Amino acid sequence: MLNFNSTIKEEKIFGDIKIAEVEPIIKINLRSKKREFSKKIGKILSILPPTEANTSSGNEGYNLLWLSPDEWLVYSNNKKQSLKEQIDLEDRLFDEISKLNQGAVTNVSDHWVMINFKGNKIYDLLSKSCPFNFNEFKRKKGSVTQTLFNHIDVILHNRDNNELNLFVRRSFSEDLWLWINDSARFI
Amino acid sequence: MFIINCPYCGERDQSEFSCGGEAHIERPKQPTELSDDQWAEYLFMRKNIKGIQFERWNHAHGCRKWFNVVRDTSNDKIHAVYKMGERPPLK
Repeated sequence: MLNFNSTIKEEKIFGDIKIAEVEPIIKINLRSKKREFSKKIGKILSILPPTEANTSSGNEGYNLLWLSPDEWLVYSNNKKQSLKEQIDLEDRLFDEISKLNQGAVTNVSDHWVMINFKGNKIYDLLSKSCPFNFNEFKRKKGSVTQTLFNHIDVILHNRDNNELNLFVRRSFSEDLWLWINDSARFI
Repeated sequence: MFIINCPYCGERDQSEFSCGGEAHIERPKQPTELSDDQWAEYLFMRKNIKGIQFERWNHAHGCRKWFNVVRDTSNDKIHAVYKMGERPPLK
């Protein structure tokens, strides 16, 4: 993972909504169509990749998000994980999957910025510029969706009741952050 | 604006998708044996009918998978959605 300078340096509170970037955490993209893949991931992360659409699986250490029938995103829950631990995990996944032609492992830690949303009105804020229907999503803990938010591609992960993590590409993160700050004032 | 039922993700707004044009156009088996006119016909000419049309769509801002849609172009009513490689449900 590179020593990047985050574009988002602050934590904001707007009435009921609390927004903050969570970093540095490791994020790894996994792609595979092989049967052995699930077993290998289960062995390394102690989580099986979800096969049901728009869902996730997780344990104390990691979350595994369904992105498409042959693509998943792993991210860590632990902000205090050392760089060595992160590199070890990536190497292990790479050796067990990519090197053995079981799929593709890509470290996307610097590609995605993760923003945490907490509060009663987070879905009011998202609904301001999101074509997605959140009725089902907000009821089901662990739901995942990829959609557009203010015309920007995002991945949303429902962490808990009124708490979610949003992933946005780094180059779009500042723009989205400014838009969120502007919109959240009127919620 | 209309809703498309992605065969992988479920119902989503049309703004998450991009249309890839007419579906089920077969690539000629021997392109070198075709005349320029025949090749141009394959490459560029599309039906663009008013009525029920078979189209390819991509869930560009979601799962990024391609699939087929049977859509009535006159009123945007979607009659069927099916995965790539599957047989069209309507004729």
